[in-house]
Order: sequence, then C-alpha cells, then structure tokens
Amino acid sequence: MNKKVISLVLGGMCLVLVYGICVQIKTINNTNSSYSTSSTVNELRDEVLRYKERYDNRAEELEKAEAELEKVRESTTGNNEELTQLEEQIKQGNKMLGLTEVTGEGVIVTLNDNTTTATSSVLDISTLVVHDTDVLSVINELKNAGAEAISINDQRLVTTTAISCDGNVISINGQKVGAPFEIKAIGLPEQLSALERPGGYLSVLKEYGIEAELEKSNNITIPKYNGAINFKYAQNK
Amino acid sequence: MVIKKKGKIIMAIVIGLSCFILSMVMFMQFKVVNQTDITSIENMREAELRAELSNWKQQYDEVDKRYQEVTATAQEYQNKEESDNETSQLLQSELSQINMLLGKTDVTGPGIEIVLKETESTDTSINASDLLVIVNSLKQAGAEAISINEERIINSTDIVDINNSFIKVNGQRILAPYVIKAIGDSAYLESSLLGSGGYADELKGYGYDVSIEQDSKIEIGKYEDELTNKYMQ
Repeated sequence: MNKKVISLVLGGMCLVLVYGICVQIKTINNTNSSYSTSSTVNELRDEVLRYKERYDNRAEELEKAEAELEKVRESTTGNNEELTQLEEQIKQGNKMLGLTEVTGEGVIVTLNDNTTTATSSVLDISTLVVHDTDVLSVINELKNAGAEAISINDQRLVTTTAISCDGNVISINGQKVGAPFEIKAIGLPEQLSALERPGGYLSVLKEYGIEAELEKSNNITIPKYNGAINFKYAQNK
Repeated sequence: MVIKKKGKIIMAIVIGLSCFILSMVMFMQFKVVNQTDITSIENMREAELRAELSNWKQQYDEVDKRYQEVTATAQEYQNKEESDNETSQLLQSELSQINMLLGKTDVTGPGIEIVLKETESTDTSINASDLLVIVNSLKQAGAEAISINEERIINSTDIVDINNSFIKVNGQRILAPYVIKAIGDSAYLESSLLGSGGYADELKGYGYDVSIEQDSKIEIGKYEDELTNKYMQ
C-alpha cells in the first residue's frame, strides 16, 4: 500500500518534470530558430540577410557618391561667389536633413526596462517596460527643449522617421532596436536637461519604475541617416 | 529486512540524483531562453521574417534610387562645368529639392485629411500626445508632408500641451477642430489609422468625432519660420 503511494507520487513528479522540459524545448524552438528545421524559414532568413547586405553595400556606395558629388559641386562653383553661396546652402540643407554626421554639446538620455522589481509583484508587467509612446514623448520633449539633432541607439531621426512598436522591440527607420534605449540630442545642455525637472517626463517614467537617466555632455556625436529621403507623392506647388 | 532497507536507500539516492539532473537541465533551458537576443534575426518567426524582408527591399530601393540620382547629378555638373549659368541652374534645382524635403516649400499631392473634434459626450479633451501618435502613425505609413491646422510638421516640430487648455505646434497655438493633412499613398495612410489598433478607431471609442477623407489633391503649406541651428557642427 505504502509502496504504491510512493511510486505514484514519484511517477507524478517525473511526469511533471518531463512535461516542463518538453515545454521549454518547444519555447526554444519557437524563439531560437537555429534549432528549427523548417526550410522556408531558413530560406526567408537567407533572403533577408542577402537583401540587408545589398542594402548595406548600396548605402556605402551612396555615401561615396555623395562625397564625390560634393567634390564635383565644389570644383564647378570655383571662385564664383554666387555659385559658392548656393553650394553652401545645399550643404547646410543636407545637414539639416540629417544626411551628415554632426557633433556638439547636448545630453544623453538612457531609458531601460525596470529590472529590479519582480514581475510577480505588479499587476501589469507592461508598466515595467519602455514603450514606443514613451520614446515618442521623450523625443517630443527634447524637440520642445530645442534639440537640433537626435538619435536613438545610433538611428538618426529625420523628418520621415516613425517610431513603432514591433512586438517587444521598437522599430526606427526600419531597424529594430531593443532596450536599453540611448537617446542622444544636440542642443543647449541646460535647456535639454529640463526633461529632468521634478514633474517632467523623466520623473513620470521613473514613477512607473522605468530606469531613466539624463547625462550632459560637451561632446556628442550623432551619426548621419543611413537611408535616403525620397518623395514620391508630394510635389512642389 | 536489512537487504530491503539497503534497496530503499539506493532507490532514494537514484531518484534524488535524477531529480537533480532534471532540474539542472531545466535551469539550463531557462538560461538559454533568457539569453536569446530579441532583436536578432535568428529568433524571428516566418511572419516577422517576411515583414523584415519587405522592409529591407524597400530600404534598398530607396537607397538605390538616391544613388542613381546622386551619380546622375554629379555627371551633369561635370558636363556643365564650363558654363556658370547652367551650373547655377543645377545648384538651384538641387537646392529646391532639399528645401522641399525640409518642408520649406508649399507642396501638393494625393493624401488624406483628418478632422478631429471633441463632442458633448466626451469629458476629456484631445491632447498633444493624441496628435503626436497620429503624426507618428502617418509617418509610419509613409507620409511625406504633414500639417496640423496649417502648421507644417518638420523634423524639429514639437507638439505640447499648455496648461491643459490648448496645444502648441511649432510654438504656435492651435485650437479644435484639428485638421490634419498628409500627403502620401492615400489608401495606405487611411488604413494606418483605421482597423484594429488604429488610433482613429481608438479615439472614436473615447467618443471623439473623427472623420477621414481621401483626396487626390491635398495642399500643404510650407514651414513659415527660419530653420536655424547653433549647436551642431
């Protein structure tokens, strides 16, 4: 009788453990597809990588071509003052568009998911992670404080940049970025650090448990936009 | 009796050991799951990969188009090196293109017009973050030019609440009803706001009055102020 009970308990325990392992293996198969055998997924992945490489190569060529164009432009304008002035305006315009790397003083804001609070102690764990709307609001506040150039995890924000939620990561300029988010902004540091003021947006985030830090810096480098801005629908009036 | 006891002890040890090993395996698995990088391509499912593929294709096409333009322009400069007049024309056309991208020109094209207002049934009012989310959705759907109550949205535009009583865009005060115009693929722009997860639907749910109309000829005015920069080099 006693033996039967023991073996039943043991059998039950083993079953639970084996079940646990099976669930885990399945989860891993779903998240980490290097274990996956599905050929369409592998083909798709290859194709994505191929296109990414083509894009990278083209972007590099574009960079060279733009440098070349600048040189040609400079040489053709020569000493003609009127032409040189136009050329300067073009350079300035490209800089404002975000097509050049820029440096200057400013601030670095770092946002990270709450890692200290146990996920079991809150009702809704989504309050512990950084959302696309949080990033959007911080960016808006920085613009309000006079930021002239902004990047998020080295993705330059240009006029067509959208910040979108893509599952548990954020997509910017078509690139996926995950927490921690490092937001760099060039502008007057004293003005930009207004985000830190009591009642400011960073303190609101902190209340939710998001890790939000702001750091002033005299030397911030913000990379250029590594895509192209083209208009297909809009035309000058 | 003694033999029986011995057997029991051995059994207990064996069972204890196997439980230990099983738990170890489980912890290892947990660790692997924790370590997987969620932004890495290795961990994407089929649907995500398809989205990723079309994203890179699109980015490639855009960069490629720009590349062709740049090389063509460089070629033209070289061809017209001798004539200051023609060079000037080229410079002017490049500059006007840049000014259009910056939002310094009036533009026209197909797109949508959204009218957003509060109704008597709503006790809250539309605030800056609502407009911010709409603008972001429109950009995501490829909007090339956007304005709110004729204030052109450019890269440095901020949209903020002032004392919970009105909204400022580009530092200019705007009041309801909010008329948001966007130029781009009109069907795509509209669908970005409607349907599941669309922000216009969410606003309707709060009781606001939202109307969206497609138009083949939307006109959006230029950014009125001077664009300046003092701090970036």
